[in-house]
Amino acid sequence: MPKAFEQPFDAANIPGPKMATLLEKGKPVANMIKKAKRPLLIVGPDITDGMFERIKKFVEKDNITVVATGSAIKRFIEAGLEDKVYYAVLHELTNFLLDPDWSGFDGKGNYDLVLMIGSIYYHGSQMLAAIKNFAPHIRALTIDRYYHPNAAMSFGNLWKKEEEYLKLLDEIVAEL
Amino acid sequence: MVLELGKGALVIDEMKNVSIKIGEVVEEEEEWAPMGPTPMPGIATLRDWDFFLLRRYKPFYAPYCDMCCLCTMGKCDLTENKRGACGLDLAAQTGRIVTIACSIGVSAHTGHARHMLHDIEHVTGKKLDEIPVDMGPEIAEVAPLTQLITGIKPKTLADLDRALRYVEEQIVQVVDSIHTGQEGSYLDYESKAFHLGMLDSLAKEIADIAQICAFGFPKGEDNQPLIEVGMGVLDRSKAIVLVIGHHAPPAINIADYIDANGLEDEVDLGGICCTANDMSRYYQKAKIVSALGRQLKVIRAGLADVIVIDEQCIRADILYHTKKLGIPVICTNEKAMHALPDMTAKDPKEIIKYLLDGNPGCVILDPLKVGEVAVEVARARRKQRGDDIGPRLTEEEFMNYAKACTQCGNCTIACPQGIRIGQAMKAAKEGDKSKLEERWDICIACGRCEQVCPKGIPIIDMLNYAAWDRIVNEKGKIRRGRGPVRDSEIRQVGAPIVLGTIPGVIAPIGCGNYPNGTEEVYLIVKEFASRNYIVTLTGCMAFDAAIYKDEDGLTVYEKFHDRFDAGGVINIGSCVSNAHIHGAAIKIARIFAKRNIRANYEEIADYILNRVGACGVAWGAMSQKAASIATGFNRLGIPAVVGPHGSKYRRAFLGRPYNDEDWMVYDVRSGEKVRIEPAPQDLLVAAETIEEAIPLMAKLCFRPNDTAQGRAIKLTHYIDLSLKYLNRLPDDWHLFVRTEADLPLAKKEELLKELEDKHGWKIDWEKKKIVEGPIRGYHAGFNPTNVERLFKEGFMTL
Repeated sequence: MPKAFEQPFDAANIPGPKMATLLEKGKPVANMIKKAKRPLLIVGPDITDGMFERIKKFVEKDNITVVATGSAIKRFIEAGLEDKVYYAVLHELTNFLLDPDWSGFDGKGNYDLVLMIGSIYYHGSQMLAAIKNFAPHIRALTIDRYYHPNAAMSFGNLWKKEEEYLKLLDEIVAEL
Repeated sequence: MVLELGKGALVIDEMKNVSIKIGEVVEEEEEWAPMGPTPMPGIATLRDWDFFLLRRYKPFYAPYCDMCCLCTMGKCDLTENKRGACGLDLAAQTGRIVTIACSIGVSAHTGHARHMLHDIEHVTGKKLDEIPVDMGPEIAEVAPLTQLITGIKPKTLADLDRALRYVEEQIVQVVDSIHTGQEGSYLDYESKAFHLGMLDSLAKEIADIAQICAFGFPKGEDNQPLIEVGMGVLDRSKAIVLVIGHHAPPAINIADYIDANGLEDEVDLGGICCTANDMSRYYQKAKIVSALGRQLKVIRAGLADVIVIDEQCIRADILYHTKKLGIPVICTNEKAMHALPDMTAKDPKEIIKYLLDGNPGCVILDPLKVGEVAVEVARARRKQRGDDIGPRLTEEEFMNYAKACTQCGNCTIACPQGIRIGQAMKAAKEGDKSKLEERWDICIACGRCEQVCPKGIPIIDMLNYAAWDRIVNEKGKIRRGRGPVRDSEIRQVGAPIVLGTIPGVIAPIGCGNYPNGTEEVYLIVKEFASRNYIVTLTGCMAFDAAIYKDEDGLTVYEKFHDRFDAGGVINIGSCVSNAHIHGAAIKIARIFAKRNIRANYEEIADYILNRVGACGVAWGAMSQKAASIATGFNRLGIPAVVGPHGSKYRRAFLGRPYNDEDWMVYDVRSGEKVRIEPAPQDLLVAAETIEEAIPLMAKLCFRPNDTAQGRAIKLTHYIDLSLKYLNRLPDDWHLFVRTEADLPLAKKEELLKELEDKHGWKIDWEKKKIVEGPIRGYHAGFNPTNVERLFKEGFMTL
């Protein structure tokens, strides 16, 4: 059982005995990224301008592969970052992630740490459920505004507290 | 017992006082085509085909629940694919849940079909064998799915009854396998789900052909008349009967009563969901009020004088709402009786009085009694109210509720869409109703928010109030459901579809649980029809596409023709009518390729997967029926895209284009195995946003058998749509290039350069030819099959 958890953003989305450990600081996330061999940040379309400003910094730091899903890629293109960000259909991407032999976007192998932000909540939750149950080679974290029970670790429900939430993202970026 | 007699004479002498009972006389089946290998397949018959599909399109499991709670050894924690007390792991349990969902879906369609046959005998007074299966002069292949699956080419509805009995028996066998201690493999559960999906398609065809033939619905004629659709189309100066559900006979009786008594100017008949679609195929003055996603909005708007429900997709809490509004409800189907008294045996006058006395509703299981009761109750209630209608709330009530909202957020976390209702309430309190109005269409009116609001705010009434102008002005047009695709149309388009010069058939189907409102449905239809795809719609998506207009004030049904041809926008009909989309694909194999479709499922599915560029889209798929519908399309080789809620179905079928072994086919021409491009890459996939879904649908229309000309057209649209909606070239477009002739002419040089620079292909620039790079070359005679038996023994052609 998790040390601490919250009510899922989608109130009835309680998957079972294993729910995400609540993350309340950004620094441990940064440490996990630094320790990972092949970290991947999945950026979905449900992002605010403030979130995107922070996400751009992840791209600039260049120590994590970034992939945009859904229509999120358009924001990166508008920001002139197309060459630094991959694009994928989240459902197809998650299917590849489940395959330990997938060679990744760069041909160097699958990823061992997946971070998710901005995915359509309920769809992202399902993708995390797939990873949790069928991809033992991957640890999945969410650094979104919502508590995601299917991740291994998740930020809490901060969707009404944007400033507080953005500070957590800033903490991660500062440590990378 | 079967007694078979050979040649000679059967003489029975000196028998007295012996009666001979003959239960059923089975006529010899007309030899309309040689019998194929799999008449009335059982669970295991098509398993090899299923396992081929499952190798290429591996089941992708996203469990909605990591536990199993189905037996007393549980609850079992299956997290991380552990096995439960019965031995089933999470993958197999998820496959089992999918099988359960499909069994519910197929049972709904099969139950509907059975009920339809019963009602037809009752309503028409004819026996089933007295009603011919006559689909008009342009349809010889009257029942493609029935012919393909059972080997029966029905002559009368009694033949459909035989096919339906087969479906019913098979469902029981599969549901048996769901019991604890039966199937243990996720692959076999998925094979069973495929079996149910196939049966679902057959049951739908039976239900729809039966109602077409018995009630005189259109038989595939194009240029269908336009039917009014939208929440604003009901005429409140008339008495209003609102029907909800999927089973049309009671609604047909209402239409007959209105017609027989000359009440057209006094009574408006409107509907929600598939009953609305089907009754408009019978009664052109019927109006379609909304799709499923608006059901509670319509009920709560108080538009109806009486509500008549039949089966499927009805709000389970309908009485909770109608009691508050004082609207009587008539339940006409034993599947949904809502604890109301059964008054079927009573005199209609007595029932009318009972309902007008303020009772919440009753059950009437005889469709022939429904018309009089519903219409007369509505007429009486009409006399008791004023002409016009306004929102349920007054301005003062609206403002008081807006002020009461504390922005606690309970509604948002209860909302399937996560709508920020509190923000909109805050704006409303400050005098800006626009945010509530914007959210009105995104809201699917499930009502969960109201139950958790600590202030008891009637949120749906608030949304209706804010959007009232939109509600009363929502007046669209839809073509009447035309039913099947005609053989003559297939003769025209079979070649262009198989060769790829018509880039694809896009089939919007199913429910209204959209991620972002109804307008995205309109966008899908308009985009693909304007690119010369054939767009065939059924069910709720057909309605939602009809309520938007272009700059000229035209709906997609007015702007585009409704022939099964390039650029057509066709309302095929209700959910059961989407069997005609399967039927069109099967008829392409029969009419264009001369394949034998009699009891020959595997070969025809293989043909469709390799050659027919069709893609379903269920952007708001919600129900178990949608699960079995999609699974039926998938077994027949037709992929489908679902909206982001679709991943909650727990299972998708997704390909891995980088795995060579998954994409090997037999080429009958060369006698070799060939690695093909991932076409189609997935069989069932959820897209996150509409901008992603549209190019994805175009991609899923690629087929290995495309000609170079066809491939160039499909590639043009895939690239254009990706540029339009995602502002970029797709990453995988090059996978679909076999030769320079596959490249869109207008962009040939640009794309050759991209192939050379980005993908390392060798280009002969003098000849503008590809020298090295593609997965395979292009040969006009390429003749692919995935089935080793067909590769060795050949195809069954006629």
